[in-house]
Amino acid sequence: MTPLSPAHSGGYRWVVVGNGENRRVRLFRAAATAAGLPTPRVVEWLDVLRDGGHHFADDELVRLDSPGEHSEVDRVLRGVTDPTRVEGTARWYTGFGAAVASLRGGCRLDDPAELAVLFDKRLCHARLTAAGVAVPASPTSGPVAPIRDWGDLRARMRAAGLARAFVKIAHGSSASGVLALETHPAGRIRATTSVEVTPSGALHNSLRVRRYHTESEIAAIVDRLAPDGLHIEQWVPKSSLQGRPCDLRILVVAGRATHLVARRSTMPITNLHLGGERGDPDAVRAAAGEHWTRALELAERAAACFPRTMCVGVDLLPTTHWREFVIGEVNAFGDLLPRITGLPGSPAAGADTYTAQIAAAPRWYGAVRTAFAPEDEHVPA
Amino acid sequence: MINDDHLSEFGGLPVFDFPERLAEPEHADTASFDHPAVESVAWRVGRIGWDSEVSWTDLFDRFLELVDTTRIRAFVVGSWVDIEEDPEEPVNAVLERLVAARDRFPALRALFLGDITQEENEISWIYQGQLTGLLNAFPELTEIVVRGSEQLSFPAVRHERLKKLTIQTGGLPATVVRELAAGDFPALTHLELWLGTPNYHGDAEIADLAPILAGDRLPALRHLGLRNSEIQDEVCAALAAAPVVARLESLDLSLGILTDTGAAALLGGQPLTHLKRLDLHYNYLSPEIRERLRETLSPKVELDLDTGGAETHSYEGEVWRYVSIGE
Repeated sequence: MTPLSPAHSGGYRWVVVGNGENRRVRLFRAAATAAGLPTPRVVEWLDVLRDGGHHFADDELVRLDSPGEHSEVDRVLRGVTDPTRVEGTARWYTGFGAAVASLRGGCRLDDPAELAVLFDKRLCHARLTAAGVAVPASPTSGPVAPIRDWGDLRARMRAAGLARAFVKIAHGSSASGVLALETHPAGRIRATTSVEVTPSGALHNSLRVRRYHTESEIAAIVDRLAPDGLHIEQWVPKSSLQGRPCDLRILVVAGRATHLVARRSTMPITNLHLGGERGDPDAVRAAAGEHWTRALELAERAAACFPRTMCVGVDLLPTTHWREFVIGEVNAFGDLLPRITGLPGSPAAGADTYTAQIAAAPRWYGAVRTAFAPEDEHVPA
Repeated sequence: MINDDHLSEFGGLPVFDFPERLAEPEHADTASFDHPAVESVAWRVGRIGWDSEVSWTDLFDRFLELVDTTRIRAFVVGSWVDIEEDPEEPVNAVLERLVAARDRFPALRALFLGDITQEENEISWIYQGQLTGLLNAFPELTEIVVRGSEQLSFPAVRHERLKKLTIQTGGLPATVVRELAAGDFPALTHLELWLGTPNYHGDAEIADLAPILAGDRLPALRHLGLRNSEIQDEVCAALAAAPVVARLESLDLSLGILTDTGAAALLGGQPLTHLKRLDLHYNYLSPEIRERLRETLSPKVELDLDTGGAETHSYEGEVWRYVSIGE
C-alpha cells in the first residue's frame, strides 16, 4: 500500500476508544503508523466508564473498538469477576450503551442507536427482516416479550415449528452462551454448546464444545441464561467446504465487502477458538461459483441496514449446496481478522482490515455526514 | 466425518440435484429443464432448501413428471425430514412412494436412502423404516446404502442380486443385526455395518454377529466392514477366529473404539496376510502396536492406521473414548 499522508486522511486525527493493551488496539495503531499517519491516541474504556464520558476534538476520527478481554472493564460492565462467566450480558448491554452515549464530539464512525440494534440479536434480526435480507426464521424477532425460562422457550419453539434451533443470548458475542438445540417429538433432546456448568450452577464459556443430552441439564442452563435475554433462530443447514460444514465472516467496510474468513467445523458452532478451522477462500469462491456475487451482495445489504456504522462483520451461512445464503449475525466489532487481506477486486484488495478502514474512513465520513446532516451543518473538510 | 457433507458421487456417477424450485407453485407450468443425460448422473431428490415449503413426496411426484426415470441407474434420496411433523410419517411416505414407482425405474441399480448431513439431522435421529418391502420391489438392485437406524427393520429379507449393502448408523439395534444375519444375500460381495453405541440403540453383541462371522449365508462376500463400534475390540477378537475372514479381500474396522487390546487380538489370531486391505483408521492405538501391525502386514496388505483425530479424554479420573460418529 502507498503510505497515506496526513493530507490524504483529510486532515483528521485518529483516536481509538478501546482497551489499550488489547491486540485489536495494537493492530489498529500499527496499521495507522504503517499508513504514514501519526500514532492514534487511545481512550481507555475504563477511563470512559470512570469519568462518565469523553469529549473528542472536532477533527478527531473516532474508532470504537471492543470493550472485551479486559477483566476490570468486564467487571464494571457485567458485574462478574471471572471473565469466562456467561451471565451478566443484559447489564453489559445497558452499561455499554450508556458508555457509548457518553462519548461527545469528534467524527464518529459508529452510531449509538445502531450499536443498540447490533448488540441485540432480536432487534438486529427484525431490522434485517424488515429490509428483506434473508435471515433464519425466528419467534423472537424484534421487541417481543422476553423468554422467561426453559418451558417458555420450548413453547415458542413449538409454536414456530422449530425442532432444531440456535438459542443465543441476546447480547452475546463470540459464541458465548450459544446452544445448538435439537428436540425430538419422542421427548429426546440434545444441546451442543461451549457452556460449562460448575457445581454451583454458574455458567462458564469453555474452549471445548460439549453435548448435553438430558432435559434437566439443558433446562438449568437456559433458566440461568433467560434473565439476560434470549434469541431463538431456526437452524439453517450449512453447506460444506472441503468436507466440513462452514460459515463465512465477511467484513463490510464503507458499504463494500472487503474481507472473507471461512470457518469450518464438524460441530455446529464454527468459531475458531472452539476448534473451527479456517477454510481456503479460493475454495469458497469455487464452491459458490456463479452464486458468489450474490453472497457478497447479501453481506453488503445486511451492512446497509446500519448506514451510520462504517464497518461491520457479517456472518453468512451458505446453504442449499452453496446456492443460497442466509445472514447469521451482524457484528459491530467483527474486524479482528489477523493476517487476512482484502478480497481481490474489492477496494481493500491486499490490505488488512484496519488499513482498509483507515483508507476508507475520511471519504465515508464525509459522505455520511452529508447524507444525514441538515443542509447547513458544517462538514469538516 | 462422512455425514458432514452431501454425496458428490454415488454408484460411480456424479450426483445431480433435481431442482427443488420446480415443485413450487410458480413453476407448475414448467415442462422441461436443463439437466445432464439422465443415465449419466445419480439423481438426488431431497429437501435441501432452508426455507423449503415442499414435502419430499411432492418433490418426488414432480420429479416423476419431468424426468424420464426409466434410464436412471443411481438414485439418492436426500432429506425427507420435515421437522414439524411426526418423524415416522415422512420416511414411511418416502418408502411407499418408491415402492409404488418401481415400474418407473427399470434400470435402477444403486439406491442411497438418506443422504442427510448432521447439519440437517444427526445420524442417530434419522428415522428409517421396514426395508424388506423396498428391496423386494427392486429385485435388480445391486447396491443399497442406508443412513440412520431409528425404526429400521429387515424382516425375512432375501435379495438375489444385491452386491453391496451398507448401513451407516450411530447405533445399529441388535434386532436389525439379527435380521440381516439371518437374511439371504447370495450375491452379496460387500457388507458394511456401522454398529455404533448403546446410547443410540447400538446394542448388538458378538453373538448377534455370529452368522455373519461364520459366513455361511454370505457365499460371495469379499469385503466386510464392521465399523464405528463401541465394542470394536471385541469385534476384532471375534474376527481373529472367524471363518469368513479367510475369503475376504478387504476388512474395514475403522471409526470405532479400537485400542491395543483389539489390535493385539487381530495380531494373535488367524493370518491376515491374504487381505488386500485392512482399514483401521480412527483408532486409539499406541505407537508400539502400530509398528507391530506394520511389521506383520505391510507392505503386502494395504494398511490404514490414520488416527483420524481420535482423542482419549480424561474426566474426573475416568477415561473417555468415543466412536467417530456417535450422535
